[in-house]
Amino acid sequence: MREIMYRDALREAIDEEMARNPEVFIIGEGIADRGGSYKVTEGLLAKYGAKRVRDTPIAEAGMIGVGVGAAIAGSRPIVEILYVDFAMLGMDMIVNQAAKFRLMTGGEGRVPFVMRSQGGTGGGVAAQHSQSLEALFYAIPGLRVVMPSTPADAKGLLKYSLRQQDPVIFLEHKHLYMTKGLVPDGEHIVEFGIGDIKRTGKDVTMIAWSNMVPRTLEAAEALSKQGIEVEVIDPRTLVPLDKAMILKSVAKTKRVVIVQEAARRGGVASDIASIIQHDAFFDLDAPVEIVAGLDIPVPFNLSLEKASVPQTDDIVAAALRTLYVPVHLQAAE
Amino acid sequence: MLETILVPQVGQDLTEAKIVALHVKLGDTVKRGDIVAEVESEKATFEVEAFAAGVVTSLPYKVGDLAPVLEPLVILENAREAKPATIANGKNGTPHRQLMASDSETISTEQPIVEFVSSNGSVRSSPLARRMAEANRLSIQNIVGTGPHRAVVFRDVEEALAKNRGQAHQLIAAALSNPRLAVKTLKNGVGTPVVFLHGFGGEIAAWRQLIMSMTLTNPMIAVDLPGHGASPLAAKSGFDGLVDEVAAALHSLGGEFHLVGHSLGAAIAVALSAQTGIVVKSLTLIAPAGLGATINGSFISGYLSARSEAALAAQMRRLVYDSKSIPASLVGATFAARQASNIVQTQGQIAENLFEGSTQLFSVRAELLNFKGPCRVILGRRDMIIPPAETEQALPANAALHRVEAGHMPFLEEATLVSRLIAQTVRSGE
Repeated sequence: MREIMYRDALREAIDEEMARNPEVFIIGEGIADRGGSYKVTEGLLAKYGAKRVRDTPIAEAGMIGVGVGAAIAGSRPIVEILYVDFAMLGMDMIVNQAAKFRLMTGGEGRVPFVMRSQGGTGGGVAAQHSQSLEALFYAIPGLRVVMPSTPADAKGLLKYSLRQQDPVIFLEHKHLYMTKGLVPDGEHIVEFGIGDIKRTGKDVTMIAWSNMVPRTLEAAEALSKQGIEVEVIDPRTLVPLDKAMILKSVAKTKRVVIVQEAARRGGVASDIASIIQHDAFFDLDAPVEIVAGLDIPVPFNLSLEKASVPQTDDIVAAALRTLYVPVHLQAAE
Repeated sequence: MLETILVPQVGQDLTEAKIVALHVKLGDTVKRGDIVAEVESEKATFEVEAFAAGVVTSLPYKVGDLAPVLEPLVILENAREAKPATIANGKNGTPHRQLMASDSETISTEQPIVEFVSSNGSVRSSPLARRMAEANRLSIQNIVGTGPHRAVVFRDVEEALAKNRGQAHQLIAAALSNPRLAVKTLKNGVGTPVVFLHGFGGEIAAWRQLIMSMTLTNPMIAVDLPGHGASPLAAKSGFDGLVDEVAAALHSLGGEFHLVGHSLGAAIAVALSAQTGIVVKSLTLIAPAGLGATINGSFISGYLSARSEAALAAQMRRLVYDSKSIPASLVGATFAARQASNIVQTQGQIAENLFEGSTQLFSVRAELLNFKGPCRVILGRRDMIIPPAETEQALPANAALHRVEAGHMPFLEEATLVSRLIAQTVRSGE
């Protein structure tokens, strides 16, 4: 095990897979000479050359089109989109082509296309650079949606993405690139559809992904001081979703809080809540709580930005609601 | 309809409060909002307010007593029941959840006053609380809810169950000081007790051989049926009288059991599964009575009328397929017990109420059909007392049937196999 940063774990995954499979190549804005805005691709140009590590103009529709086409032709492209907000320019290629091709060719054609991008709030980069858009991709059958929260998961899931056969929307978080975590030595692969219990507990199940995982773990720590033991589940891949892990945990704790950074309306949290209310109805002792971003464009002002997405206190309060503990009775720290 | 005013929780960590004043006595009429008592914590005195109207029917504590918090302090009976009324809230048109007691209308006493109900008139509860209450046969209406809008949530059901268990423990002491049926622990253990109920003419000792081959770690308890072994005749005659007596004995032991019954004991086990207050987690029925209509009447009369040890031995051999399965010592002990007491007459009276010639006068088919837990039925292919084919035909689809090469006493003839089947059934019911 080594303690490395999230961005280094991603680089290791790309590096190892490029070394292993000559079909893997990566394109994006400023990824070659510059090594990427978040330094994920640093050093790859020198190692693999300009043919496999290629800078592109600022033209997301074209980049995604190139990637989907190359994947259909049998190659293994990684397309890095600097902000997920700009993936919107390539939505036709993702939604109407990549996601449908396998079905419409009777299973003959596969699209092993990986789009890496990053989303979420952080640092006041305003409404067009701060969105959490996983729900858009989640809603399209045929796409895999991956949202790692730790360096180890980032590495293992990206390596698996580059070995499986379907289009993957790999969503990183701008706040996570510099976070550190233990990554196993040697070959480390995390398959899709297997959630991870980041903390075990018996009183409340919390489900969170991406940057909401560390925040939820903070809330769990605060609750533990009040004697409330939280189980934190990180599904790691939203599609496919590890329903079994979630339902098993709910059967144990009887209470659920789902935390998402994306806007509340039409979010993935709502869909997970609908699965739980149906499949675990008679295990529930309280309504499923969703802590989510506000239904507004993310504000530029830093204080307002902070107020628009879930904070630790919001998560703690939601957990106490599921336990029917009035918030004003909490012991003052 | 009874209303209970609880000893208030006067401090976060306090478990007891001192009763410093009682403003009501038995028979007093209390209005909603009256101060009925004062209790004291370490720091302050609290007034206890009546949230319902009624006549005081019980005052478990007197002034100066230390009372556990959230235990009944005053119990009221509503002399006149008020009709629940839903009053529209003028502002937004949604119904007011709190129902108002109306003095002008008097309706049937069956109508309960529910302080907080949902718009369709049922008590609010979480899905989990409802499921747990049903599984434990508790009425959700009788549980005090502490959730939002006084909804019954899981912790309330847990508390109600704990209270029941506490009462059960108190009852054990009472039962032991005033035993009605003979109850014996055959094997100590942990978990839900497995209770063994013997058949007509049997007694606790009949299970000894089977118990020796049991590997289960649950506690194992056996009961002498009324008029058998060391138990006196039932107060009420007939099958229901037997069931009531055994139910009372089980009540005194707690709330949850796995039941293993043989023949008449199996029929009683099935009947117990339908009783409120007893949670039967699994049923193992060995050559059960009460499912088919036929019983070997000549065996019953022959067994009861045998006067010599030889005649008794001949009758008892009819119970098994391999006659060596009935040891001479068992015949000897049974014969000696019959000589020493009037047990034959007693059992004759029981038989008269249960059987008419070769017909069983009781049936538990409906109860078995309603039993939702795991149920295993073990039949001896060579049973000469209760025809196995008839029993088999009466079994519901959810009963797991196991036929063994034995007569009416598979647990004697195939003790190891039967003990394994019991263990499986118990485990699947845990």
